[in-house]
Amino acid sequence: MNRPTLSVRDLVVVVHGREGSRRIVDGVGFDLAPAKVLGLVGESGSGKSTIAKALMGLLQAGLCTVQAGRMTLGQTNLAALTEKGWQKLRGREMSMIFQEPLTCLDPVFTVGQQLVAVLRRHRHLSRREARDAAAHLLGTIGFADALDLLASYPHQLSGGMRQRIMLAMAMGCDPAVLIADEPTSALDVTTQAQVLMQLTALGRERQTAILLITHDLGVVAQYCDHALVIREGKIVEAAPVRKLFEAPTHPYTRSLLAAVPTIRARRHRGSPRTLADQL
Amino acid sequence: MSRFSPTLLSIRKLVVQYARAGGRKAPLIAVRGVSLDIGTGEIFGLVGESGSGKTSLALSILQLVPVFSGAVLYRDQDLATAEAQALRTARKSIQMIFQDPLAALSPRRTIQQSLLEPLAHFGIGKPAERLEQAIAALEHVGLDPALQGRYPHELSGGQRQRAALARALVSEPELIIADEPIASLDVSAQARIVDLMLDLRERLGVAFLFVSHDLAVVRQVADTVGVMYLGTQVESASADDLFEQPAHPYTRSLLSAVAVPDPGQPAPLVTAGEPGSVLTPPAGCVFHTRCPDRMPSCASIEPAETWPQGLAVANSQTAQYAHGEAATLQRKVKCHLWNT
Repeated sequence: MNRPTLSVRDLVVVVHGREGSRRIVDGVGFDLAPAKVLGLVGESGSGKSTIAKALMGLLQAGLCTVQAGRMTLGQTNLAALTEKGWQKLRGREMSMIFQEPLTCLDPVFTVGQQLVAVLRRHRHLSRREARDAAAHLLGTIGFADALDLLASYPHQLSGGMRQRIMLAMAMGCDPAVLIADEPTSALDVTTQAQVLMQLTALGRERQTAILLITHDLGVVAQYCDHALVIREGKIVEAAPVRKLFEAPTHPYTRSLLAAVPTIRARRHRGSPRTLADQL
Repeated sequence: MSRFSPTLLSIRKLVVQYARAGGRKAPLIAVRGVSLDIGTGEIFGLVGESGSGKTSLALSILQLVPVFSGAVLYRDQDLATAEAQALRTARKSIQMIFQDPLAALSPRRTIQQSLLEPLAHFGIGKPAERLEQAIAALEHVGLDPALQGRYPHELSGGQRQRAALARALVSEPELIIADEPIASLDVSAQARIVDLMLDLRERLGVAFLFVSHDLAVVRQVADTVGVMYLGTQVESASADDLFEQPAHPYTRSLLSAVAVPDPGQPAPLVTAGEPGSVLTPPAGCVFHTRCPDRMPSCASIEPAETWPQGLAVANSQTAQYAHGEAATLQRKVKCHLWNT
């Protein structure tokens, strides 16, 4: 399978507010390669989610301006897409999952109806074919009783199951790129392990390029290949994960790593306390 | 208790259950017979997945949800059966903070007004002194007293949580029940609240019941940790013992699921099966459906809470329970593996 690479250079997002314009993403660039997981890590307000929305063409034209030196998926120039072009691309070439699956799942339709709708829209399947494909898809996400699940409504499922349904939906059309925006921040640690293991395994198997947005450095260390550290809209450090943790070069990365609590050891009091104190 | 004697609060065989709509359905049992002790100045971390009953337990201490059976012993009194007046007195010394400080601070009151209210309610100090007490509380939590005229929406998330903590502190409590107080904050703001809790314990001797699903933060702050699964406390031990040598298979699988911020550490492990439902908890041991060390008896016989021998136990001492049960303290496990 020859998968295209998502390539971004000099991405700038300017938000126009009442008090003037602000650059909230400022010259960001990276490549997202097939079967690799790229972590995008930073604190709230750093611009992580805005980058994701810009990549998916989800930023409202009137409220902000998106400029990019380059934003391409293989041969497709994303920067030049019309809304119609985006609609064909989203969900098929590029998919996204969010922190809160309930905002994406419609409460009045069953899981099956929603999965079938996505599959039929992009893959032009018959109702029956789409239903079989949906059941098969849930099987690949590790659900044993797919048929029961297809008949359930979102509120009947646990948070972890909903997030895995979202993952199934996003992977349904075998996208080249999957953007996961804090996919496990609302989940318990055992469920997080399950969702992220499935996410990364699927990515490797299907050669999907994954952009994993998180504020959790544990998630970066354990599930990503490369990582970008972002602060105030700028990438302050980009490195392979092992190098990032072993030899962080930027002071912000170092203070971020120092502030992270770990279950392995009790932090010594008096050691670096908070980011705000350090910077 | 040992290091944190005397015991401040003793929870004994606590059961919390909620009636379900329809009347005929069996009640949802959120907490199934949990016992724990919190000593003076102790930080007790209560961890577990969502639905494990940790919030129900926290709320039931101040009778914010009714206790079905069992006892909440505080100053020789059972809060579960206490009269309204006694409960009011207890609420002065046991305060709560919640995950969302905006839900705890009135949006229409300034921080100062919110701080003065508990003082007036409990009749603490003369009205003229109360302003000073409010300012002292703000200083305790490291908030600039100049912020007291602000409304909650004018503060950042971390500042709001500190304001909520200041409001809890004005009545000079012995115990603060903190239910996921840092779940909605950024790492740096989390670190500040955690440091603040340790500081307050040191300076004012306040004890905390710290309810959280974040194991790494609990590791940083707690002296003792209780682990809950489907309404049952499966293990409790000193934080060092629990994190370094978890005894219950559930505690082990919980710890091994954590993504450690170090790529050199082993990858997180996934526990088999789905978390069970509190509505239909498994018979026998609540964890047996997912347990890697399952034995035949686990499916039918509920394990008793035991104090396992043969486990390295730091700080172990023989201590006296409030109800007179003597036990080697610090580690309790509810598992047949240790039940020999």
